[in-house]
Amino acid sequence: MEILRKFLRSSIIGPMGALVIAVLIVSMTTDRFLTAQNLMNVSLQVSTVAIAAIGATLVILTGGIDLSPGSAVALTTCLLAIFVKNQGMPVGIGLMLALGLGAGMGLLNGLLSTYGRIPSYVATLANMSGFRGLAFLITKGSPIFSVSPFLEPLFYGRLLGVPLPFYYVVALYGLTYVYLRNTASGRAIYAVGGNESAARLSGIHVSRTRLWAFILAGLTAAIAGVLMTARLNSGSPNYGVGLELAAIAAAVIGGASLTGGYGNVVATLFGALTVAVVQNVLNLNAVPAAWQNITLGLIIVLAVGFDMWRSDIARAASRLIWRS
Amino acid sequence: MAVMQPLWELHEVSKAFPGVQALDRVSLNIFPGEVHALLGENGSGKSTLAKCLTGAHQPDMGSILKDGEPVTLSHPLEARAHGVAAIYQEFSLVPALTVAENVYLGRPMRSPRLGLLDWDGMRHSTSQVLGQLAMAISPDAVVRDLSVAEQQLVEIAKAVSLDSTLLIMDEPTAALGLGETRRLLALVRDLAAQGKAILYISHRLDEVFRVADRVTVLKDGVVVGSGMAHDITMDDVVRMMVGLEIDQHYPKQRNARPEVCLEVRDLRTENGVNGVSFDVHVGEVLGLGGMVGSGRTEIARALFGLDRPTAGEVRLYGVPLHFSSPADAIRAGVGLVPENRKADGLFYNFEGPPNITISRLRDVLVGPFLKLARERQVAKAYVEKLSITPSALTRSVQYLSGGNQQKVMIARWLYAKARLLILDEPTQGIDIGAKLDVYRVINELTSQGIGIILISSDYPELLAMSDRIAVVRDGRIVRVAPAQEMTEHELLSLASGANGESVKGGARLMIRRGDGPGFPRERRDGWATQE
Repeated sequence: MEILRKFLRSSIIGPMGALVIAVLIVSMTTDRFLTAQNLMNVSLQVSTVAIAAIGATLVILTGGIDLSPGSAVALTTCLLAIFVKNQGMPVGIGLMLALGLGAGMGLLNGLLSTYGRIPSYVATLANMSGFRGLAFLITKGSPIFSVSPFLEPLFYGRLLGVPLPFYYVVALYGLTYVYLRNTASGRAIYAVGGNESAARLSGIHVSRTRLWAFILAGLTAAIAGVLMTARLNSGSPNYGVGLELAAIAAAVIGGASLTGGYGNVVATLFGALTVAVVQNVLNLNAVPAAWQNITLGLIIVLAVGFDMWRSDIARAASRLIWRS
Repeated sequence: MAVMQPLWELHEVSKAFPGVQALDRVSLNIFPGEVHALLGENGSGKSTLAKCLTGAHQPDMGSILKDGEPVTLSHPLEARAHGVAAIYQEFSLVPALTVAENVYLGRPMRSPRLGLLDWDGMRHSTSQVLGQLAMAISPDAVVRDLSVAEQQLVEIAKAVSLDSTLLIMDEPTAALGLGETRRLLALVRDLAAQGKAILYISHRLDEVFRVADRVTVLKDGVVVGSGMAHDITMDDVVRMMVGLEIDQHYPKQRNARPEVCLEVRDLRTENGVNGVSFDVHVGEVLGLGGMVGSGRTEIARALFGLDRPTAGEVRLYGVPLHFSSPADAIRAGVGLVPENRKADGLFYNFEGPPNITISRLRDVLVGPFLKLARERQVAKAYVEKLSITPSALTRSVQYLSGGNQQKVMIARWLYAKARLLILDEPTQGIDIGAKLDVYRVINELTSQGIGIILISSDYPELLAMSDRIAVVRDGRIVRVAPAQEMTEHELLSLASGANGESVKGGARLMIRRGDGPGFPRERRDGWATQE
């Protein structure tokens, strides 16, 4: 009973509800959604966005925003493809290097927005352009196909009958959940986002904390990039377009407040699933890409709007109840 | 003007904020052509009452009538449409714009034909208003270049130009010198003679009695007296304002010991500490007295690692300290309770326990992991010890009363094992009962041997709760003396650099809550800074 009450009051219930509603609506509009094959596709597709959304959540929790993960993913696929195919590195080493460079991209975002004092939305917007430009530069604009036969199993492999990406997502979300809830560093992320000045006066190194969140965000973007390379066995500067928006949408649907300090990474997972379900149904119904973009924009506005208008909605609702 | 219809009537108006009943069935009439003074100590509800009239707050109960008709003021613009204009202590002027631009901000005059802005018209009518008020300010002057007093006059000109029928002035002389105050009071009388109603909010009794026709005294949100100014004496008002409990709410214990806790020698910083030396003994409360901008906050900032000293030496229990961040200071055993709890102290996104443990998380770590159950136990112990409301354990601290919030802040530093605690305005904005609690906690802290630096603009509090007072002026300490040997009068004249000349007649009251000359209320001594 107590557990049930706690659950109903927890911050996960909203995003979970959003997911359930999305699934209900979707399965009413098409009978192709609730097929084993399609559900498998959705859960595989969601993995990249879901992992990038971890980073988006961490940065948003500190009160910043990261607009660069889509481009960071593209750059990572290109780097990994070049390392393995052109330079002939073993997959394992190329992978580590790509992840390290991803963290470096996050470090750059973080340095610009903390010690460089450039607002994070500007710094990461610049890098959104810069990283993708770099991806075009190093590939001379053309995708690199058939990178390595050892890559695809990373994505399509199974363990105990379950696709590997499922394990990655569960492991990363589990780690992040424990990190945020049960470590001093995770606590600092919430503190900095909740009240920067108070955090500083409590002895927390504010800039260092923000920097760290950006590094982790770079790392998760790189992991998403590696997964994408494995899935498509290729690297391309055109990958990951719009991924940053999907990741931010996932965090925001999950209830992360853009002012910082409020949010729950598990809720972000439900946000990512909701986004994936919506995108999937648009694909199933062969809705043109243009409309998919518009829908994603709308989802973000509604999710943030719901956060901002929450008090007004509550007031209006209580007034209605009062009247009747 | 004996039997007249009041312009505005407040009838049994009540307004509560979390933890405080700011107004409790307050009734008040405001007549045209009359200066109605609203008196009371800080936190007595004066500003809340004014804000109910300007539409910034809505009363929970009671009614507001204009010309006998009930009105709802749900937005400042509605109040303005009803002819209410307010002049706050915090200026609402835009510094980069000219006087005329400011006066017509948000309601530009347009030329009839093209609909473009009619700058000539705005300049012309601004200079008319200024002339009418006998102000020698050019409409083209940029506000940033004006003195504080002139800016205040522009605020008034702006309010007057709105064709308002009720002018609310909240401590309009706080930033003004003697001559300027005299001119302003004459101006207020003029405006009343022109038929405007004026609600005049102030602490300064001498001033009030020079200007007001009618006086209402508030205490803890209740009207404790009201009448024509010539029927009431200043003494009556003092008694009403202060009530019977004048000095009993300072339960001072003297716990100072001979050993030295903190030694400061010739401390200097770039932002206004000019060679300061003092000691704080174990268990002692050292009160820092001084005006805003005197450097007392800057001294505290340097001791807390926010500003890097350019010279001097600081020792805590004999150990030299070199702080480059608050984290260093905290590690060494220095704590700070900032003036603005909400902006600089508390995490509203956390419940009580994380707010208490944040500065010493390593004690609730096992390996790399936080033990949330242990954190809760720790918090529970402090909740009991400091008699904080138990709901602090499970609810966001944003829902706690000011007093409980303050005790959460103090719990944070007790838990962080602070040996020197800097309290910046620790009782600001909390009610009498909670103040008492804070004083008791101060006693408790000093009895444990914690040294305290107390910064307070509430001079009676500062004098009563400190063992010694150090008066700061221009970044220097001009005098250190035992608190019992110092009077408010002496403290104020030392702090202001006056020879006592400007402090006379009603001065005792004028400084009661630290709103005397040199304490403009827009004070925000800024703990919030860049790293």
